[in-house]
Amino acid sequence: MASALEHVAWEPCWIEPRPDRALESHARRKQGMSNPAIPYFSSVPWLARGLVDLHPEYGLLMQIDHHIMDLVGLVVSQENSCRFCYAAVRAMLWAQGMSTERIQGVEQDQARADLPPRTVAAIAFGRSQSRSGPVGARAARDALRRAGLGTDEMKELAFVVAFLDFSNRAHTIPAIPTRPVERIPDQLLMRLLRPLVNRILRKSRYRGQATSLDRVPSYPYVRLVRAYEGSPIAPALGRTLEEMWGSRHLTRRCKLLMLAVVARGLACEVCAPEIGEALQNEGMTESAIAHVLTHLDAPELDPVERILVPFARDTIWYEPAVVQRRARALRDRLTGPQLLEGIGVASLANGLCRMGAMALDHP
Amino acid sequence: MNRTIVAVAVMALLAALAGALYRQRRHTASLRAQLDAAAAELQHLQEACSRLAPAGVVQRLIADGLRLSPEAAAERKVVTALFADLVGFTAMSERLEPAVLARVLNGYFQRMSDAIHEHRGHVSTFLGDGILAYFGALQPNPWQCNDAVRAALAMRAAMREYNVELAREGLPALAVGIGIHRGTGLAGMIGSRERMEYGFVGRTVNLAARVQGLTRTHQVDILITEALRPDLDTRFVLAPMPAEPVKGIAEPVVTYAVREALS
Repeated sequence: MASALEHVAWEPCWIEPRPDRALESHARRKQGMSNPAIPYFSSVPWLARGLVDLHPEYGLLMQIDHHIMDLVGLVVSQENSCRFCYAAVRAMLWAQGMSTERIQGVEQDQARADLPPRTVAAIAFGRSQSRSGPVGARAARDALRRAGLGTDEMKELAFVVAFLDFSNRAHTIPAIPTRPVERIPDQLLMRLLRPLVNRILRKSRYRGQATSLDRVPSYPYVRLVRAYEGSPIAPALGRTLEEMWGSRHLTRRCKLLMLAVVARGLACEVCAPEIGEALQNEGMTESAIAHVLTHLDAPELDPVERILVPFARDTIWYEPAVVQRRARALRDRLTGPQLLEGIGVASLANGLCRMGAMALDHP
Repeated sequence: MNRTIVAVAVMALLAALAGALYRQRRHTASLRAQLDAAAAELQHLQEACSRLAPAGVVQRLIADGLRLSPEAAAERKVVTALFADLVGFTAMSERLEPAVLARVLNGYFQRMSDAIHEHRGHVSTFLGDGILAYFGALQPNPWQCNDAVRAALAMRAAMREYNVELAREGLPALAVGIGIHRGTGLAGMIGSRERMEYGFVGRTVNLAARVQGLTRTHQVDILITEALRPDLDTRFVLAPMPAEPVKGIAEPVVTYAVREALS
């Protein structure tokens, strides 16, 4: 099955996969099958777990239909040129019985006529949010409302797109190998086992249930996590954020600076104040923060920050091969886990800004 | 006897049907392959177009098809315009063979475009031996001033390398003048029904071109306007130039020569 992204240039992966039994079995338990990308992320456990735990298909959605999620996943991954995620969603749709023609129809926007208006609106939302980000949030929200989506549905959809923007970048920037996933629908064994695979997938995907937020978050993005209170998204997001802050490969200040750069690049007026406040709590003055955000550098930055702060802006709008080469060029200047954690933080920031703008009413 | 004839006839019919079915399947497969190729081509085209205009504009154009309303895609934007022009090219063009001249010119355009692209700019158009590029036109870019000046410095470095190559071939050295200005303008699909391009219209582009012209007056290769300075990295070494009157602007224009970027 020819993929529309097969021609997208994709550099060789520079991460040596490192098997981690605990992380891999966590992914298998949650997703019903092994996840081939996990060994590449195992040196930064919060990132590997976050990619599994925040995956909307596995118990996080209460409103949005899984099928809509898949279709949104297809177009957002296409927008972000993520060959890995794109191939994974295609394989998922194929395993569920969708014909290759129909998958291609959705990719090419030809299926508008036979898709329900809400699905069409959700797909358009995924596209527009990936392209314009927070700046287009208000128009995107109005379009969804016109298509009949309620507030909770819109918030879930914003989360789905945010997760995809996070996952797409996390897989694209280190150039996680795509061939094993792209080949799935062409393999004879997989074709024979298609009904069985479909059954396994169906069993492992489940609806979310109302979940209380036991712990009041104590980190930036508090408002964002609270905006999802009652949904299983809130504790899952809170856990990932907490683990991200707890990880020691990069300093808290470095992570905050990267988040601030992405928020500025996306003109996110929702996330920026909270991150700015957190940076001031780290001892940075307002003028120092402004200097970093204007010039992507400052004399008071440490050597790791001086590398990762400008790199964060490369993750906002990118061509896969270009950003992959830029990341690869940093390998000699950072440790492997530092670089991977930097990629994880920047990827997450790209998702959170888009999500914040939708869920917290971007002006 | 009759049974045999019937059996043979049925078998012949079945064979003919099987043949027809086989041919039909092959035909369908061939059509599908052509459709796949056309879809892939379309995808390529859409992606190529996204490099010429913002992805949102391309999407709107594709959705609208021929019922295009260019005015709907127009918007006001703050953009940094970079205008580059070869110094003394006209004299050189009279001396060189057309084929050599074209090769020299293409090598120059390629190197300059690479430097611009590497620093997140996009080449809008080639005007004779000139290049007009924008920073912040296709995607929002709060760091557009720094990007434009870094691109200009990369163009200077690329030009030096190219001149070494040209000297090796016994060809004359090239020199480029670059003017950079930031300002507001109208961005959108501009042109006639027959030929349209994503462009940026306004005083910003004119002033960048005029500032480029001032590089000859001040005998420098890179000049920027005052509008860039507030957002410019302090590590750029700038030298203020005397204010000069330029066509179409009431007040004399203050410019700064970019010497280097300190690491």
